Amino acid sequence: LNFVFFIYFAVNTSGFLEGLVRGFKNGLSKEDYRHLTQCDTLEDLKLHLQGTGYGHFLANEPSPLTVSVIDEKLREKLVIEFEYIRNHAYKDLATFLDFIKYSYMIDNIILLITGTLHQRQLSELLPKCHPLGIFDQMETVTIASTTADLYNAILVDSPLAPFFKECISEEDLNEMNIEIIRNTLYKAYLEAFYDWCQQKGGATADVMCEILAFEADRRSIIITINSFGTELTKEDRAKLYPRRGKLYPDGLLELSKADEYEAVKRVSELYAEYKPLFDGTGNNPGDKTLEDKFFEHEVTLNVNSFMQQFQYGVFYSYVKLKEQECRNIIWIAECIAQRHRAKIDSYIPIM
Amino acid sequence: MFKMGSLFRSEEMCLAQLYLQSEAAFACVSELGELGLAQFRDLNPDVNAFQRKFVNEVRRCDDMERKLRFLEKEVKKDNLAIDDTGENPPAPLPREMIDMENKFDKLETEMKSVNSNQEALKKNFLELTELKHILRKTQQFFEQTHVPQQYDDETPLIASEFSRSFNRFGVHFFYYRFVAGVLMRDKISAFERVIWRACRGNVFLRYTEIEAELEDPHTGDKVNKYVFIVFFQGDQLKSRIKKICTGFRATLYPCPETPQERREIALGVMTRIEDLQTVLNQTADHRRMVLSQVALNIRVWLIKVRKIKAIYHTLNLFNVNAEKCLIAECWCPVVDIDRIQLALRRGTELSGSSVPSIMQQMQTKENPPTYNQTDKFTSGFQAIIDAFGVSNYREVNPAPFTIITFPFLFAVMFGDMGHGLLMFLFALYLVLKENRYMKHKPEDEIFKMMFDGRYLILLMGLFSIYTGFLYNECFSRSINIFGTSWNFLMEFRLTLDPNKPGVFRGYPYFYGIDPIWQSAENKITVQNSYKMKNAVLMGFAQMIFGLSLAFCNRRHFKDKLTLYCELLPQLLFLCALIGYLCMCILYKWSVWTVAQSNTAPSLLIGLIDMYMLTDPKSNNRVPLYTGQYQVQIFLVIVTVLCVPWMFLSKPYILYKRSNNTQDDICCFSLYDRLITQSMMEAGGLDSQSDDDVAILHHENNDANYGKQEPESFDMSEVIIYQAIHTIEFCLSCISHTASYLRLWALSLAHSELSEVLWSMVMHTGLATSGTSGAILSFFVFWFFSSLTVSILLVMEGLSAFLHAIRLHWVEFQSKFYKGEGYIFSPFSFTLIVEGKVE
Repeated sequence: LNFVFFIYFAVNTSGFLEGLVRGFKNGLSKEDYRHLTQCDTLEDLKLHLQGTGYGHFLANEPSPLTVSVIDEKLREKLVIEFEYIRNHAYKDLATFLDFIKYSYMIDNIILLITGTLHQRQLSELLPKCHPLGIFDQMETVTIASTTADLYNAILVDSPLAPFFKECISEEDLNEMNIEIIRNTLYKAYLEAFYDWCQQKGGATADVMCEILAFEADRRSIIITINSFGTELTKEDRAKLYPRRGKLYPDGLLELSKADEYEAVKRVSELYAEYKPLFDGTGNNPGDKTLEDKFFEHEVTLNVNSFMQQFQYGVFYSYVKLKEQECRNIIWIAECIAQRHRAKIDSYIPIM
Repeated sequence: MFKMGSLFRSEEMCLAQLYLQSEAAFACVSELGELGLAQFRDLNPDVNAFQRKFVNEVRRCDDMERKLRFLEKEVKKDNLAIDDTGENPPAPLPREMIDMENKFDKLETEMKSVNSNQEALKKNFLELTELKHILRKTQQFFEQTHVPQQYDDETPLIASEFSRSFNRFGVHFFYYRFVAGVLMRDKISAFERVIWRACRGNVFLRYTEIEAELEDPHTGDKVNKYVFIVFFQGDQLKSRIKKICTGFRATLYPCPETPQERREIALGVMTRIEDLQTVLNQTADHRRMVLSQVALNIRVWLIKVRKIKAIYHTLNLFNVNAEKCLIAECWCPVVDIDRIQLALRRGTELSGSSVPSIMQQMQTKENPPTYNQTDKFTSGFQAIIDAFGVSNYREVNPAPFTIITFPFLFAVMFGDMGHGLLMFLFALYLVLKENRYMKHKPEDEIFKMMFDGRYLILLMGLFSIYTGFLYNECFSRSINIFGTSWNFLMEFRLTLDPNKPGVFRGYPYFYGIDPIWQSAENKITVQNSYKMKNAVLMGFAQMIFGLSLAFCNRRHFKDKLTLYCELLPQLLFLCALIGYLCMCILYKWSVWTVAQSNTAPSLLIGLIDMYMLTDPKSNNRVPLYTGQYQVQIFLVIVTVLCVPWMFLSKPYILYKRSNNTQDDICCFSLYDRLITQSMMEAGGLDSQSDDDVAILHHENNDANYGKQEPESFDMSEVIIYQAIHTIEFCLSCISHTASYLRLWALSLAHSELSEVLWSMVMHTGLATSGTSGAILSFFVFWFFSSLTVSILLVMEGLSAFLHAIRLHWVEFQSKFYKGEGYIFSPFSFTLIVEGKVE
């Protein structure tokens, strides 16, 4: 019966696209990274990237190169690939891919609102938006002064509307508010995505729930750590925790009581997956930051997702891994451009 | 004769070292690139791409290429034809590079300034056109509002209700303020909703499409836009609406309130548009002028830049010596060493260097690449062989034999004069028109494949005509050329029985199959037996031929061990098993007559009996010939003896040899390593082990078969390897022979299919009489011919082709062909310029 399902998947749903994505995934090898870190100028970097899967994506850029150009082109490449897949997808896969896009939409909205709050011009903010998260109504968010306004006037028609229900209030938008909106949106988004994957079932659920649960827990932990020393009350904080991770419910309850970093660490160490992430982190030179550890764990989960076939997790992991790879390239490029070679090796390796 | 190079074995190659003066290196490599006979080896495999010596030059070439690509894109955008004279300019000298760079740089900046000018003008033009449309459309809006009942269907529901309520209260638009602008078509519905929600329904929006497509000044794409006008009250709403408009990237234009002012502005806009149009035309002319100059030269420039880039890439592979000298290593065919040296001399002269470039042959144990010189005729056949695997260095190349055997085996399966003729004519057309197609490479992949194999198809067609003649079939009909040798009685069912008196005239049909069989009832029975036996005979012939080529290989590589311990028993085994069967077939054909056919022994039963070791007489069967039993017993013994011979003798001798050497010095490989070391140090050897070493190295050089150093001897590995090969060969003797029966099966299928097509289609047309028959035949003919081409020629042809390929790759080549070499890929400009190689 499984066999029949596989054929159904391959023919009817996304066999072609999965094959494509597995091809796109093939990224830089350890050797490539080693060569990249040895580059002296950005021109060298370009020359070396030509020999990898990135090919001639910089060939039409005149010298001298800047990091921002590389960043832009890398992003453009990812977007082209993603849009190609999105345009060929339908039914469930289309919904799944849209879910991936929603997180970028949330980021964009928050970016724009924060920007307007700081009196920045729209034209200045737009290039910073991620192209995957652009939607029609996005640029009009600047007219809203309250969250209710934001929802009623603009977001009600956008795909983000269902996530927004929890944060409608008549309060004016201020920085604190925006952070709360961002986290509430993310919480709603993660929960919706998780539930969708669970309902989809099969290998997709196995892979995606694992990844999303980690994402949820990471957010809870980071929210807690960042909240120390701010006006955010513990009750409000507890409302922001996405309730789909492994920490839910006991861990979140404990987290909501935490007042300091050590408390967070104590809670997390009760969970086998997260214990190693807190071990050996610190702010001393040579130590990895907690953030980097999280990234590494995310990469491992995403790489594992490619071990299973006939499931949608590969699409999510492909986007995340490519993003990580782009971040790595940009990190290396920045280090080269600023002649700050000491930290050039602290990219997140993708195994 | 030797200069020609032969297809039988790949070219003899040598590894040569070139010492090039750094000032002459560029010119020399350029000459070698034009020649295309040297494959350079990377002497700095550990060095990164960006750490090599000429990386800056490569980068400059990249930049030039980028500029040229930009110019090419601009030329194509203007639909100018790129001039293709077919000229092949030599790579310019390095000092000309700066000139070229400057030229391209100037062109690029000029082009860019023209473009930005044009863009600015176009943007201006777009704004004016949009304003024109706004004035025109808003005029309509204002006029409509005076007649409130005449809302067209396009007016959105919400807005129309709203405006109705407007009028009910007797309010006029003129008391309201408004904003007018232009928006992309795909954003209009989202825009409408947002504006309605954000202003809580306190605005009135109207919009209509601009019929003409507008040009986006930046990308040059055509876009569709809408004109909209928003009516509102109050300043707060105004700022809100303006924000939304910027959010949707709408362009707003000032639009006066009174009709008179609008008309005045409209007039002003019209004149300005006209002025702008003339300016735009002038810039377009200027642009065309620049571009047409570019279009004339760009192909030559691109070739030049690509050549320079290729040269620097090659120079990057070289070893840079401190003494102003580059060292290169390359594989080249021994016969062409003179030409390479000539090219080097030319290069040195060209660069004006006083010190000559030196070429020196090197000794190596590495496997040289395989280089088979082909021409337009042989390349198709070589491609079939290479598709299976590139032959080992100096191994017998099956391609020259394939030239005949391939079309022949194909034709055995495809034998039909008519179909063969069509195929022949098609290939002939391609061959005659080849110059035209060579110049303009066909784009279509399938056509390109057929074009590349045109000579193959030509021969396939020719041979099909011949076998069709033998089978006496032309579109499944027979031709009575020499007069049939049968008297047929007017029977309803025609069964040809030569034993009936008076039916057979006593002499056979002169050549091929008697046409009378076409209408005989027992045609299939007779032809099956004939074609099946033929297939076995041809199969045996080809397999024996394969083994004899293996013999050539063994002789050439002086591999006596394999010759006597593997090849000889293989040959005996095949002959005793299949060869005997073939002999029986021939004997039965020639000795047994028709009259005896009822009592004739079955060959199949005979073969089974042979291996059951039963005497035909004991089962009351008639023997094929006297003494059959004794001969067969002898052959069975030979066959059975061959198996242990194949399996055991070679491992045993290898074992003995390794023991001998181990007695001398403990380990085979250590021994060898020591010797090489001492050879390097002293340039010679101590006297006592001299002979052994000579033999060892001799073998090494000759066998040259992959291993660079003899590995330590592993008995189990050798035995397993030998066992696999023995079993494989014994089984394959039977299975391969059976496999050749496909010759019969496909030939049968082809003739049956074409007969069905004739009798079911063409025959019905021809059998109808009168005028209706004539008309019917006309239509039926087209149906018949299209089916003939699509099914019989294309489909059947492809299947016969595939089976012929299989017979060559598996049944024929497995007897002698290793196919583990790698192909010679020389540094050649022709491939680089065509963009096939980086």
